[in-house]
Amino acid sequence: MLKILIPTLMLIPTTWLTPKSWVWTTTTAQSLAIALLSLTWLKWTSETGWSTSGPYMATDPLSTPLLVLTCWLLPLMILASQNHISPEPINRQRSYITLLILLQTFLIMAFGATEIIMFYIMFEATLIPTLIIITRWGNQTERLNAGTYFLFYTLAGSLPLLVALLMTQKDMGTLSMLIIQHTKPTNLLSWGDKIWWVGCLLAFLVKMPLYGVHLWLPKAHVEAPIAGSMVLAAVLLKLGGYGMMRITIMLDPLTKELAYPFIILALWGIIMTGSICLRQTDLKSLIAYSSVSHMGLVAGGILIQTPWGFTGAIILMIAHGLVSSALFCLANTNYERTHSRTLLLTRGLQMILPLMATWWFIANLANLALPPLPNLMGELAIITSLFSWSPWTIVSTGLGTLITAGYSLYMFLMTQRGPTPLHTISLHPSHTREHLLMAMHLIPVLLLVLKPELMWGVCH
Amino acid sequence: WILAWMGLEINTMAIIPLMAQQHHPRATEATTKYFLTQATAAAMILFASTMNAWTMGDWNINQISHPLATTTVTLALALKIGLAPMHFWLPEVLQGLSLTTGLVLSTWQKLAPFALILQISQNTNPALLTTLGVMSALVGGWGGLNQTQLRKLLAYSSIAHLGWMIIILQFMPALTLLNLTIYITMTSTMFLSLKIMASTKINSLALAWPKTPTLTTLIMLSLLSLGGLPPLTGFMPKWLILQELTKQDLPITATIMAMSALLSLFFYLR
Repeated sequence: MLKILIPTLMLIPTTWLTPKSWVWTTTTAQSLAIALLSLTWLKWTSETGWSTSGPYMATDPLSTPLLVLTCWLLPLMILASQNHISPEPINRQRSYITLLILLQTFLIMAFGATEIIMFYIMFEATLIPTLIIITRWGNQTERLNAGTYFLFYTLAGSLPLLVALLMTQKDMGTLSMLIIQHTKPTNLLSWGDKIWWVGCLLAFLVKMPLYGVHLWLPKAHVEAPIAGSMVLAAVLLKLGGYGMMRITIMLDPLTKELAYPFIILALWGIIMTGSICLRQTDLKSLIAYSSVSHMGLVAGGILIQTPWGFTGAIILMIAHGLVSSALFCLANTNYERTHSRTLLLTRGLQMILPLMATWWFIANLANLALPPLPNLMGELAIITSLFSWSPWTIVSTGLGTLITAGYSLYMFLMTQRGPTPLHTISLHPSHTREHLLMAMHLIPVLLLVLKPELMWGVCH
Repeated sequence: WILAWMGLEINTMAIIPLMAQQHHPRATEATTKYFLTQATAAAMILFASTMNAWTMGDWNINQISHPLATTTVTLALALKIGLAPMHFWLPEVLQGLSLTTGLVLSTWQKLAPFALILQISQNTNPALLTTLGVMSALVGGWGGLNQTQLRKLLAYSSIAHLGWMIIILQFMPALTLLNLTIYITMTSTMFLSLKIMASTKINSLALAWPKTPTLTTLIMLSLLSLGGLPPLTGFMPKWLILQELTKQDLPITATIMAMSALLSLFFYLR
């Protein structure tokens, strides 16, 4: 774990000490090296499932795919930000990169934590760099409002989590994940215990986000700069899912009854946010709502607590992370050229930017869960486990899949096909950097088709 | 107790001329209000200690055991430092002072009463302390929401932090001291940075970015730390206090305190 953390921290002196023209090159190269190094975590040799352990950090099949995803995204974030940051003075560029690196460090420590309190502190700590990135480098005036919504929604959910974790520490004597998975199930019957259960889960449900408390997400995504959107969609939402998976180990047997309202909210949310997507005019907002929809499916999969549900959740989290981030990068290429996110203004791009159209095509197909891509694997696992939990869920999940296909195709057709408006004929051609970015997003998705065991996690 | 009272009176006397240095009518008004409240509190302390000596026959500070006497002295000390519901003087007094004097009022002046509070901590009424603490945290949070003047903002933040300090007094006084120390450090940082930028309203803070970017970053970080966000140091006292409260089986109190921290965070964030 230290092999990855120390190079990541050393990226900060790198950004501040390299001469001006080499900053972006060196940071991208070093973060890429760290990402490749993190791929070595994927080899699991230990029997108990926890490997590469230090005193407070370890990796296991649940956290490793998410860790690799996080490390993989840092070079991509830096690549994506190059264009819109370049007009700023060099020190501001350096502080931007430093914020991204700090966020990365906190995320690595969060995913690698073994003590739940450390996970909590890192979970909260990731909020600060994200908040600064959104409010300082966002694009519009509403970003202050977006930042406030973001911070307060997440904090209001996580402060009860702190109290709940402290109560757990009092009762069980430890909060180490290694030990908690072996404790016997607790006898939880009173109202106070039910409130404790809600307290444990609420923070992660807000972060996921669950449909009822998802309002911060479209605001934050629309206002954030590209790197902020990428890291939000890809990784920060997965923090919520990861936390839920860890916490539900100690929450049985209450979860059987208490999870009902949340599962229903999640399923209903899939349909509702999908329908909102069909009527959106703002491209980034569309992708944001599609994120809420997919994460609703993940939440449903985790809350029913079956092995296939967990597996499907992890696969969908990884695949959605890569694909959502890719879609945000594509939306950003449009935004950088036309400085507008309205769908109507950026139509008919296939005529002008044909190679980009290929990437749009693949990303949208992945979003709507085309076989054999891992998105489908995850969705299918979750849908089948939900079906075995209750046959009625097929109504909402099936309808949700249809609507997802609907809006993904809508997004593709609106941006690529159709008459080209006259004002877009003089757009810049696609940079190689953008093609590289898209390739690095989508090639792992395609490669994961060949070896999905890397992602399956604890249950196989 | 007599010596303690004398010390407190001398303290008040000494700071009165410092506060009235600016010959602005608001400064004079603030000085008068401060003098009145502190004198009342000191008189109450004297009264409580005399009552205790009469009924129990003891002048020792940490042997104060008559319940009426302990309650009175706790309320008097709360008035001295500005805990709710005796906090009404603090925003106006702080507003009338210059930034340096305000710094002294918020940090140094709290040390003496806290020394007394820590010494009487064993005999105090738990319900009273909990009420004072929770009310202070809530009042500090809600009161600061509509403020644009920085000094009043810092006054309400002081009230909220004092609430946190008082609530843990009955369980682990060491944590009160820790919270006090960290609070003094953070507030001194805030006051001194504001003095360097010579800004007293939120509007003038917004223009600070071009002047001194490093200092603005520091201010932002210290504001977030005052708000108690991990991983900054300001989180540590809050975390430990919540831990103690839950260990003593008071999760509801802990949750209320935590939520009121959110209120304060909102006005720090602006």
